Amino acid sequence: MGIALPSSEFPIRTDLAESHDRAWAAIAAPGTWLTGARRVAVAAEVRNARRCEYCAQIKAALSPNAVQGEHAGLGVLGPAEVELVHRVVSDPGRLSERWVDSLLARGLTDGEYVEIVGIVAMVMMMDACAAALGLPETPLPAALPGEPTRYRPPGAKKQAAWLPLVEPEDAVAADGPMYPSPKAGYIYRGLSLVPQSLRDYWALAFTHYLPAEEVYRFDRSIRALSRPQVEIVAARVSALHQCAY
Amino acid sequence: MLRESMEIGGREVDVQGVTKGFDEDVDIPHAQALVAFAEAVVARDPGRMAAGRAALRVAVGEAGLVDAAAVAAAFHGFVRIADAIGIPYTTAARGADAPEIRARAGVNEFYRVRGGE
Repeated sequence: MGIALPSSEFPIRTDLAESHDRAWAAIAAPGTWLTGARRVAVAAEVRNARRCEYCAQIKAALSPNAVQGEHAGLGVLGPAEVELVHRVVSDPGRLSERWVDSLLARGLTDGEYVEIVGIVAMVMMMDACAAALGLPETPLPAALPGEPTRYRPPGAKKQAAWLPLVEPEDAVAADGPMYPSPKAGYIYRGLSLVPQSLRDYWALAFTHYLPAEEVYRFDRSIRALSRPQVEIVAARVSALHQCAY
Repeated sequence: MLRESMEIGGREVDVQGVTKGFDEDVDIPHAQALVAFAEAVVARDPGRMAAGRAALRVAVGEAGLVDAAAVAAAFHGFVRIADAIGIPYTTAARGADAPEIRARAGVNEFYRVRGGE
């Protein structure tokens, strides 16, 4: 596929580089609700959103509802999908349940919504990593043919969040592996309406931050940075995104 | 997580620094360089990121620089999942959310802004 990380002037951890390779391959393949072509189109729209003038106006406004206009979409995804991708990329700290409901009312299904959010999060992570390392963006992969699985976990229910989640006790074997433990935090459960998206996302996140089994082990670090050094970077990035996590 | 990782080593950190900036005497080696790099990554500012890489290469080595880039990138993903799915922020830190810590860190101000939508 020709990922960018191996071209770095300094050594990149193998697990990190390989996780990028696997993530781009996953994005190119048919998903649960989206075809490979739509998934790659979402990735393209993520990058396009950074150049959207309307997004810049929304971001600068005191309220995101104070600005009227249209996103400069690439013309592949529908308006609701473009609104979802652009707002999650550009102004995630001011989303609301009412905004989510407005997208669902425009025909986007909750499964499509969650799958798109998972792709946005993965592309944002990989592009930010490449940029931080001074590397070019990885070229988008060619979409693979095939049909989405259309699997909906039977235990999913809307309770704690704006979208349905699968609580660990409601997961069934058909969902496939999802949680590192029955006490997995809500951040793990976020994409659980689409179990494959959850798995793809966390396989990538674990190599960037910490594997699940290390997150609450504050007495050691498996990285070259100490744990407080890891956390000061994490906390500052979260704060700049206006996120409690 | 920052507070926990400091306390396990018998150290303290003023969590207000997360939103307002850390003092030079914060008890984390190379904290200023790490924070400056994190801010440059969020801003996607090529010049500041290049300067940050140069500083971190000296301060924490190449492997440390790669880890700093990867962690900064990871939280570009986490925040989007939390915010787009509407995960209640009181469930952060596996439900061990402490309101006084949120207030001290200035996190409540985020949600005041959000409530105005």
